[in-house]
Amino acid sequence: MALFQITEPGQSSPSEPQEKQLAAGIDLGTTNSLVATVRGDEAETLADEQGDALLPSIVRYLEDGATEVGTSAKNSQLDDIDNTISSAKRLLGRGVGDLKTLGGALPYKFATSDSSVPQIKTIAGNVTAIEVSAEILKTLKWRTEDALGGELKGVVITVPAYFDDAQRQATKDAARLADLNVFRLLNEPTAAAVAYGLDQEEELDEKIIAVYDLGGGTFDISILKLNKGVFEVMATGGDSALGGDDFDHVIAEWILKESNSDLTHHAMSEARRVKEALTSSDEVSVALGDWKSSLSRSQFDEMVEPLVKSTLLACRRALRDADLSKEQVHDVVMVGGSTRMPIVREKVGVFFDKPPLVNIDPDKVVAIGAALQADVLAGNKPDAEMLLLDVIPLSLGLETYGGLVEKVIARNTTIPITRAQEFTTFKDNQTAMTVHILQGERETVEENRSLAKFALKGIPPMVAGAARIKVTFQVDADGLLNVEAEEETTGVKSNIEVKPSYGLSDNEIEGMIRDSMDNAQADMEARRLREQKVEADRTLEALDSAMKSDADKMLNADEMKLLLEAREQLQTIKDSSEDAEEVKTAIKHMEKVAEFYVARRMDDNVKTAMQGQNVSDFADKDNQKR
Amino acid sequence: MLDFKQSYFKLFGLAEEFEIDFTKLGSAFRELQAKYHPDRFINADDNERLAAVQTTGLINEANETLKSSRLRARYLLKLAGVEFDDEIDTTSDGAFLMHQMEMREALEEVSSANDPLARIDDIAQEISGEADALKDDFVEQLEAGNLDAAKEAVLKMKFFERLCQESKSLTEKLEDALF
Repeated sequence: MALFQITEPGQSSPSEPQEKQLAAGIDLGTTNSLVATVRGDEAETLADEQGDALLPSIVRYLEDGATEVGTSAKNSQLDDIDNTISSAKRLLGRGVGDLKTLGGALPYKFATSDSSVPQIKTIAGNVTAIEVSAEILKTLKWRTEDALGGELKGVVITVPAYFDDAQRQATKDAARLADLNVFRLLNEPTAAAVAYGLDQEEELDEKIIAVYDLGGGTFDISILKLNKGVFEVMATGGDSALGGDDFDHVIAEWILKESNSDLTHHAMSEARRVKEALTSSDEVSVALGDWKSSLSRSQFDEMVEPLVKSTLLACRRALRDADLSKEQVHDVVMVGGSTRMPIVREKVGVFFDKPPLVNIDPDKVVAIGAALQADVLAGNKPDAEMLLLDVIPLSLGLETYGGLVEKVIARNTTIPITRAQEFTTFKDNQTAMTVHILQGERETVEENRSLAKFALKGIPPMVAGAARIKVTFQVDADGLLNVEAEEETTGVKSNIEVKPSYGLSDNEIEGMIRDSMDNAQADMEARRLREQKVEADRTLEALDSAMKSDADKMLNADEMKLLLEAREQLQTIKDSSEDAEEVKTAIKHMEKVAEFYVARRMDDNVKTAMQGQNVSDFADKDNQKR
Repeated sequence: MLDFKQSYFKLFGLAEEFEIDFTKLGSAFRELQAKYHPDRFINADDNERLAAVQTTGLINEANETLKSSRLRARYLLKLAGVEFDDEIDTTSDGAFLMHQMEMREALEEVSSANDPLARIDDIAQEISGEADALKDDFVEQLEAGNLDAAKEAVLKMKFFERLCQESKSLTEKLEDALF
């Protein structure tokens, strides 16, 4: 396609007005990322050469420092697990101290370093989540520039509404690394509302839009008000530990229980398949090993009802925060692949008493909204009235006496915002004061996220309570914070751009790194064991499927017995062993025993091939790798 | 350039009084935002962009202040020359504080009532009735020039704000449990 769009450098294509500025909206997602742009009057997502709009958010690092991004990286994920980085978004803006809570689910290795930002160990050296995200952004940037035939002037990048200051800053840093000019960071739900809101020219003076966003791992609800092109976020809420994956878990648990099996890994992938199939079928057959059954839509609906209900509880809370009743909501916008589930659409429809809007692909709606905003910000729509007024998702505050947090800016306050708060010294002749900035809703310092800590020095000695220290918080339109502290009687000033500190002293960080190193050893051992068990499963499956297809004609009774004994042995070790080496040895043994059988099948296949038959069912173990 | 010195009321074209027209506040707010928002200055130089952040920061702060009755009342007093920090300053009206404690206790006992939701509705109604009376009192005192009494009313509003919040989150808990 791009081959047909040859233009002179710097010359825009004739159908576009000369002054058109190239802009794009990027949805930088945990699992997939997308880019969209406005062409003509329509915003559309841009696809790669294979026609895929969704770019898997996966980056593989190669030995020479080169990278593979997207589908090719995803395909090699199993073979090169240590160098293939997925879900980097979950690490953005996170500190080494957060690895304990996040690390368990992330399959790659972390390196120790002096930095408080987690370093992922790869064959090409250590990388941070910011660098990984930058690779994804670069790929989308090239895709866009190839399609549009020119350099991008700027982009709008979407972030989850609940992203704190550190996570937003990290996203912006990634964009800077990718050499992208960021017009604005935009909250994902706001982008979705824009995608729908501008679509519909209605007579209403003011309308309320609810954005229901159920992703793989998180749920978000936002309530917005649209008035003459101005989108005002009234409230945001949600559950950062509830998503489509939890629906998979529910099915997987059912499968494991019904089949009396412990093949967790297989049950999960089967669960995912069943969930997706149930979107369009009323009944789906389910299988795990030898066990077979079926699951109906209504059974599934019943199983997952508590999950849907908890999303609706969050909707109620958000409506209350916005001081609105659900009858006042005009439109409900669905975002995220998980909103394809009929039960979700149905329950949301019943709750708001109106059918939710689903005509824009829930995977693409955020990127499309971001593209519309980018087009306006680039100056391509001088008459557009559109303006997006976002809110700060989490309260900002300062540490006060006794480890408590005093809120300076409450959550759901419209940004940009500037607010000052006065504090005083609590000891006679106190000449310095630590300003500790926190984000979150909890009462104590430990329970909130520490954003930064800095010292205001040079306060003249005074009696306790006489100094007047004014701390000014300034949050810009991207939700990024800048803090200034000033002693007002003397004018001593201290100003910082808030860079995440995670609230740890150097010593603490060192200790945590040591801990995580200790853990890393154990984690590595556990992972090797997991890998070998998966390998054992594959070997067993390969044998089972081979024997099922031709054991009766290729094996005599003794040979069959021999193979089944070896199979049994491997199965037992796989189920009970805690030692990766032991499992590995058992696999080798099984393979050795089966050698004659594999050779015989290969011969047979070659014969079949020479007879002009199809060889696609050649059952060599490697071909069964998914 | 927006005049930072003018009062929040003037900023939105409103008279400097307690009762305000919220529809007018809303539309004036949107108009100012549309004009000064940083999104309108994407291609401007650093100084202009910073000015846009500061200007809209002020517009938002002014809007938040006027939207809340307590903050609006406190701001009117500030315009009248009475400034105070209500994190530190508090009312010393013993009877008032006693009554607050009673209402708080009533809230705590809601869950053991026969029909907790009906009970909390009653209490919430009582709270909002008394809060409204307090607003009337504030307006009266301010107009009569009794600034100390007006300040006393603002300090008391803070108690009602907390009570309101508590009864709201309690209602939320009760309703969520039934949902």
